[in-house]
Formats: sequence, structure tokens, C-alpha cells
Amino acid sequence: MASIDTGGGHGGKRSVNFELPLIPFIDFLLCLVSFLLITAVWSQMARINADARVPGPPRPEEDIDKQEKPKELHVEMRGERKFQLVWKEGSTVVNTIDVDRKAVPIGTNEDIQYPDLAKKIEAEWKQNGSHRAPTDKKFDRAVLHVDNSTHFQDVIAVIDAINTPQREYNVGGAVETVPAFMVTFAAN
Amino acid sequence: MSDKALHRFRQPISVPGPVLKHHITLAFVRKKVAGGGGRSVNFELPLIPFIDFLLCIVLFLLSSFSASGELPLDKNVRLPNAANVLDMVEAPMVAITGTQILVDGVPSGNVNAIVEANRLQRVDELFSVLKNKRELWKQINPGREFPGVAILQVDRKVPALVVKSVFQTSAFAGYPNISFMVGRLGGGDSGGGE
Repeated sequence: MASIDTGGGHGGKRSVNFELPLIPFIDFLLCLVSFLLITAVWSQMARINADARVPGPPRPEEDIDKQEKPKELHVEMRGERKFQLVWKEGSTVVNTIDVDRKAVPIGTNEDIQYPDLAKKIEAEWKQNGSHRAPTDKKFDRAVLHVDNSTHFQDVIAVIDAINTPQREYNVGGAVETVPAFMVTFAAN
Repeated sequence: MSDKALHRFRQPISVPGPVLKHHITLAFVRKKVAGGGGRSVNFELPLIPFIDFLLCIVLFLLSSFSASGELPLDKNVRLPNAANVLDMVEAPMVAITGTQILVDGVPSGNVNAIVEANRLQRVDELFSVLKNKRELWKQINPGREFPGVAILQVDRKVPALVVKSVFQTSAFAGYPNISFMVGRLGGGDSGGGE
């Protein structure tokens, strides 16, 4: 077993050799390993944010004309062939862009991505995005409209594409990189 | 104690060892046939490399340790994967499997009813369960602002109509900030929360 031998200890003095108690130490380590293995988290789950458009409280004190109408990017996922990106200010359509719907399979797990859509949305945000500064607490909004028959997997692929443009965001002094758009999942 | 002092005492028990064929006079033959001089049967276990190995495992497991624990994933749900994702937060978990809607593992609605109706509708059972959870949270945390966050665990093949119904029901029950639970695709991570 492990020991420290200094070669001394002669002449009636106390031995200076020392036996290290390795067995209890190994037992302790094995217990620690067992505990950590049992409580280990092997699956790496994550989340994608979206919010619902719920009517807020009325603001009668403000004039309707003066209430701000922020620019929003509406992503229409209707039909099989294309996406439609529509910039709107309130109900006014500012610009409409068509993007081909080309799904690219990723890996062997039936996952798909829309890289063309992601590139276009990133370019659009760089051109028209209003909230870019890390200190800006507001986010540009993207509203996703999908058909009722669309599979959830396709919905996630589109939200993933919308989340491609990233911006810096100041959280209590620390700067984090977060998606530039706040996604709203439209019910209609 | 020196060896000389020990010789003064007769030792009744001798050291065990081979005793036969010791009468052979030739020393090298006697050594061969009587045994002795062989390999030691004692064996030193290499404990130090073993401890090093255990320490490496402990350090690796400690570095990947998560205090929040594993989030329960329904075995009937196959989640989609995404690249631009956020870290998980703790919130009520609404799972949509092929046929059922579960809130933290408790059945709270039926998917077939929405599919058969073929229109967006409120899921009453889910609404009441989430509303009760919201009220309970407010009682436990008086004076604090309710975050209104729920996590949707949806199977990848579920139609958007069901997702919309559950989404709207959750929003009207006081949970407008929904997160969709996904797997990480290609290790992409966009950092912390909002």
C-alpha cells in the first residue's frame, strides 16, 4: 500500500514512516463517482421562445394616432412552394418578399432547415431592424403564420430560421448574444 | 529489537515453506527440487493510477453536473431539433403526445377532440389546470410578478392546429410566454435567456 518512507525511525524514536489510508479514499471516490453518474444529465434539451398575441390593456389616455406602430416582419408559411416575408407597420404593408421553400435535411433524424429563408431574414434584419444596441430592451418582432396542417417539425425549422440573426443584449452588465427577433406564433 | 536478542528465545512456530527433499547434497539440485527462490506470491496493486483514473472521472462528472436536474421528457414525444436555441428554464411543462395533452405528467386534455373539430378551440381542462397553477404560484410568491412562462413539449408530427389551440389556451390561462422544447442541433447555443 502507499506509504511515505523517510528511512529514519531508528534509535528508539518514533517511526517517521507513514501509511496513507488509501482504501477509505478510494471508497469515497467511488461513492462520489456513483452519485455523479446517477444524477448526471445526459440529454441536452433546449428551448425556442415564442409568444402569443394576447390583447393588452387599453390605453385611453393616448391618442390612437400617436400610439406607436412598430415595424413587424410577418413570415407567411402557406402553400408548399414558397415563404412570404411581409414588413408591416400596423396594418400597412411596407414591403413583400418571396423566398423559395427549400428544405435541407440535417442529420439522420428527419430534421430539416431552411437556409435560404434564414439568409434572407438575416439580410432583412440588417437592413430594416430597429433594435440593435445592446442596451435596447426592445426586440424586433416577427409574426409567424402557418397552415393548420403544417407539422410542428416544419414550424420549428422556420422559427429556427427566424432566430438566425443574433444581436448583443445587456443583461445586468453582462453582454449576451440572443436572437434578434422576438417570435410571435399567430393563431390565424 | 536486534537479531541477537531474538536468538535467545526458542521459537516454536517456524516460518512455513517447503520441507521435503532437503537431504539432497548438491545445492543447485536441491534448490530446483525443493522449491524456494521462486517468484514472490505477494502482489502490489497499482493503486495510484487507479486513483488518478477515479479523480479524472470525478472531475469530468463534476464539470458536467447540472443542479437543475433532468427535465422529464414524455417517452411518446419525439422532439424536433434546432440550432439557434436558448438554455432551459424551470416552468410548467405541457406535453402534446399523439393523443393526449399532459401538464407536468397529468392528463389535461385530448388531441383527438381538436383534430376532429378541425378548428382552433380552447382546451377547457388544460385551461383550468394552468389557471390553478398560476393561482398557486401567486399564493406562494405574493408581491412578485408572474413570469407567465410555460414550456411546450410537442411531438414533431403533431399538426399546427393542435399546437395553436394549446398555445392560445395557455396564453389565455396566463402563460403568454411559451417556449418550445427542442433538442440541440450541431451544438449551437445562443447563450442565456432574454
